[in-house]
Amino acid sequence: MVFHKGQMVRVRRRSSDESWEEYMDGLVGSRGMVTDPDSQINDPDSLIEVSLEDKGTFRLPQDCLEVLE
Amino acid sequence: MNPSQCPVHETLLELQKIPAERRIIHPRSRRLFEEIATLIQDIVAARAGADHLPSIDALVAEVCAFTDDPAGVDTGEWLKERLTEYQEVFRSHALDRNCAASVCDHLTPAPCQMACPAGIDVPTYVSLIALGRDDEAIEVIRRDNPLPWVCGLVCTRPCELMCVRARIDTPVSIKFLKAFAAERAMSWGRYHNPPKAAATGRKVCVIGAGPGGLSAAYYLALHGHAVRVVEALPRAGGMILVGIPRYRLPSDIIDREVAKIEELGVEFSFNTRFGKDVDLESLRAEGFEAFFFAVGAHASFNLGIAGENDFPQVHGAVDFLQRVALGERRCPGKNVVVIGGGNVAIDAARTCLRLGSEQVTIAYRRTRKEMPADHEEVEQAEEEGVHFEMLTVPMAVTGDHGQVRALHCLKAKLVTVTGSNRQSPKPIEGSDYHLPADAVISAIGQRVEQQWFAHMPGLTWTHRDTIRVNTITMETSLPGIFAAGDAVTGPATVIEAIGGGKRAAIAIDRYLGGIPQPKLPPVPVRQQRIPYIDVPAHTKMALKRPEMPLLGIDRRRTTFQQVELGYTENQAREEARRCLRCDICRRCGKCVTVCKEKMGVDALALGYLSFDHPHESDFRRTEQRCISCGACAANCPTGAMRIEDRGDERILSLCGTVLSRQPLLFCADCGAVIGTERYLAFIRGRLGALAPAPHNGDGPQCDVCARKKGHHGGSTVMAAT
Repeated sequence: MVFHKGQMVRVRRRSSDESWEEYMDGLVGSRGMVTDPDSQINDPDSLIEVSLEDKGTFRLPQDCLEVLE
Repeated sequence: MNPSQCPVHETLLELQKIPAERRIIHPRSRRLFEEIATLIQDIVAARAGADHLPSIDALVAEVCAFTDDPAGVDTGEWLKERLTEYQEVFRSHALDRNCAASVCDHLTPAPCQMACPAGIDVPTYVSLIALGRDDEAIEVIRRDNPLPWVCGLVCTRPCELMCVRARIDTPVSIKFLKAFAAERAMSWGRYHNPPKAAATGRKVCVIGAGPGGLSAAYYLALHGHAVRVVEALPRAGGMILVGIPRYRLPSDIIDREVAKIEELGVEFSFNTRFGKDVDLESLRAEGFEAFFFAVGAHASFNLGIAGENDFPQVHGAVDFLQRVALGERRCPGKNVVVIGGGNVAIDAARTCLRLGSEQVTIAYRRTRKEMPADHEEVEQAEEEGVHFEMLTVPMAVTGDHGQVRALHCLKAKLVTVTGSNRQSPKPIEGSDYHLPADAVISAIGQRVEQQWFAHMPGLTWTHRDTIRVNTITMETSLPGIFAAGDAVTGPATVIEAIGGGKRAAIAIDRYLGGIPQPKLPPVPVRQQRIPYIDVPAHTKMALKRPEMPLLGIDRRRTTFQQVELGYTENQAREEARRCLRCDICRRCGKCVTVCKEKMGVDALALGYLSFDHPHESDFRRTEQRCISCGACAANCPTGAMRIEDRGDERILSLCGTVLSRQPLLFCADCGAVIGTERYLAFIRGRLGALAPAPHNGDGPQCDVCARKKGHHGGSTVMAAT
């Protein structure tokens, strides 16, 4: 999946990526927008910046996200 | 904690049940619990001060010590446990006036503020700019971000992506407003540092003078610690200095903001490379007790193609941009090919044009749709004359006698690879061609330079070759050593680095003070609640986001002058007035529901309230349909919707946007306000023939006068005796 700036996404599940921290379990189910989709190389392994409604902005692994549009 | 619930609100609800359920009988315990409930009510309603939490703790202790009432002690113990378990949440409610779960109506932050990685109170500073109070706006911003001017020019603006105004037309131009206010405040000499805490005598070393390092240094200095910043480059700024070209961010702006940080007593050691000139041991010997690493990701990835290392005209984009930023003005070649599709590739291409390259081509292996660079940057590069070769896979750099002649490429097509939901470029056999070039710049990503950490074997790294940290505190695997910025996230944004530096500074301060670290990320602080600014509905809808004036194209192609010229004062003030004040309206939609479903009026076209499916919004519709009944205002939990009588008018407003303004009718006998014509007609419509409008011949009557004298001057029905 290639993410684009401004895409609406949802955190659909926790990630097994090493960057996933315990507090992030609370983000599962949240919706938001991609705010910085790895503006260098579109690497599917890179963490991307997502702003989640009422939760804040986080850099998350891509495998936990699904596009809503 | 279940994130959909708020422990503070739940605690209040539990306490409020106590009298009804008669769980606590003893009068003294009941009084104590009532006092606790009052204090928590203050917290939930954003009325708490610094004394509230200590007062609650004292009252709970008193309840627990009152052993004459075992039921009270049990409940007191429950409360004590809860206050301990959710200590951070109670603190964020009471001190930061923020409910991260968005349950407490008065403490729900605006989406723009929540989106900002540094947690800047956007609605407050935008309102201050609308009022012409630019210096106060900067003061508000600098509580969360020490580099407002820099961010005003180069921030990736997650706030604007979450801006609710975008659901109506376009987001408020938050980024440029910040730059406008910073420039004004600096020009007026009113760009001040907040007061510093008394010196603690503790020393902290910051490695890297980029945005993350500068942010940490600023907050550590404000906490009273002695800070030294160690920087390998000859000047401060890190990636904002050497990674962002001057036509986007003039270096004077960085220098002016760094100077303000220096004013706080922060000491800078330039041309000092960590791991070479200094190391952990030597710094510890100087008395530094904590360390913050914000060294960035300054190394370019290699292309891994033939000829890459054979010619001096093949450059890494980061090195190239760094040399130019530090003063080199040599044209890399007349015909340059830049490989990559990100912002760095665009920056390198536009820089080449300004250095005199005649032809600059960006070769990218996917299509324009997949290009990760910002669309605005791509458009500006095209305007300046940068060419794009899409679906192009570089195979080799070719040349002779030490001179690059061409980039050997293959054309590609995008195919879906089994097991992947992402299309990959597949070279087309036999599509070889040579892209003529006399210089090649590789911009395919950056990595952290790990070699400088060789003497820190205990430091753990991620599989992405970035420093592993706890992202709540930014603490690394080594105690007392913290890190943030690109060294942790990989190449990311300026505002993320600033936010990371701030988080680390708070954690370092706690580390030095022996205070336990938080278990949840910090929540943004609501700095102020600026009164509404009255804007008529028509104006609110008519105001459009202004186009940013740009430098002339010829000047852009030939110099490093700033491309974006900034707003005029009038544009900035008007743009700030487009803000919907989501710090007050939490978009619960109760006003719309009550107007449409309970009153049957449907005067509020506020489709932007829905995050998922925003539909038509038009503040002007209210003027045509509103009956001024006030049901919306009565049901608004935050006071965002307000109805009030001013002079001979009844005015309905939403966060200052005047939705309806209707003339009032007054009693012809006593002069009391009766309501508006539309409201009275609505009531008559509901009651039908049962309620003819009270009238005394000269004009309408209020109910009281009508009862006294009869509707039409007839017999007295409610004569006073």
